[in-house]
Amino acid sequence: MTLAAAERWVEEPLRHFIDDARVRRTLLLHGSGRVLAQHGFARSADVMSACALAAAIRASAGELGRMLDGRPFVELHHAGEGDQLYLAEVPTPRGPHVLLAGFGAESSLGLVRLYRAELAERLAGAAPAAEAAPQALPEDFEVDLNRNLAVLFGRA
Amino acid sequence: MRTTFRPVLTTLTRHRGVVGSMVVGESDGIIVEAALHVGVAGDVVAALAASLYRKARRSSSAAGFGAVGFLTLEAEHGRLCVIGRGGLVLVAVADRSANVGLLRADMVGALEALA
Repeated sequence: MTLAAAERWVEEPLRHFIDDARVRRTLLLHGSGRVLAQHGFARSADVMSACALAAAIRASAGELGRMLDGRPFVELHHAGEGDQLYLAEVPTPRGPHVLLAGFGAESSLGLVRLYRAELAERLAGAAPAAEAAPQALPEDFEVDLNRNLAVLFGRA
Repeated sequence: MRTTFRPVLTTLTRHRGVVGSMVVGESDGIIVEAALHVGVAGDVVAALAASLYRKARRSSSAAGFGAVGFLTLEAEHGRLCVIGRGGLVLVAVADRSANVGLLRADMVGALEALA
């Protein structure tokens, strides 16, 4: 499965992450749910659903963390029978992004966490410095999402 | 929180040249309990050592060699010693001055604690 990125600067750091952490599926999205890159998904509808769910889960976990621990939970892990799911916030110079990774027996939570930290470092190094981070405005959300999905699935 | 692994880790960390020891989940690479000197990147070593052990176990099985015994990685500036049982791996991080023979004996003896 190939990696497709809507923004070039995330491509190389993500490629390293995918190779090193041996994840089966990956999504990198803006905190609002706007997808930036995908790997391992065959249909744009699946990416759209996964992004919406990931953003919602992150928001819920963040609030839950604030209630219980005074600060948001930034990492979530679910161990299924076969596949496992890892959802984490990745700080970047362009604001917090969300990483959703699915992996199996060929990887482990420890490895995925380890390479998530490296991904954050690589993203920090790769982020365009001069360009201001785009604001995620509610009125633009659907347009941005559809544009990025079209780029990721070769319809742009 | 201290677990039943603490005496094992304390014993290993008392060896000359050992800078850390950990009990790590084999499948997830997460530390269960650790005794580490300052500066040892426990999370990183745990994740990679568990991955190494998992792969060694699978390689050994694929080659028809049976279960993995004691695994050592010798590097320019140190050694990583790993032994596993029951889904847990015991990891010792040592510099070149460590006596691997003694360390191995204590790690093999500590396998009971992992079961």
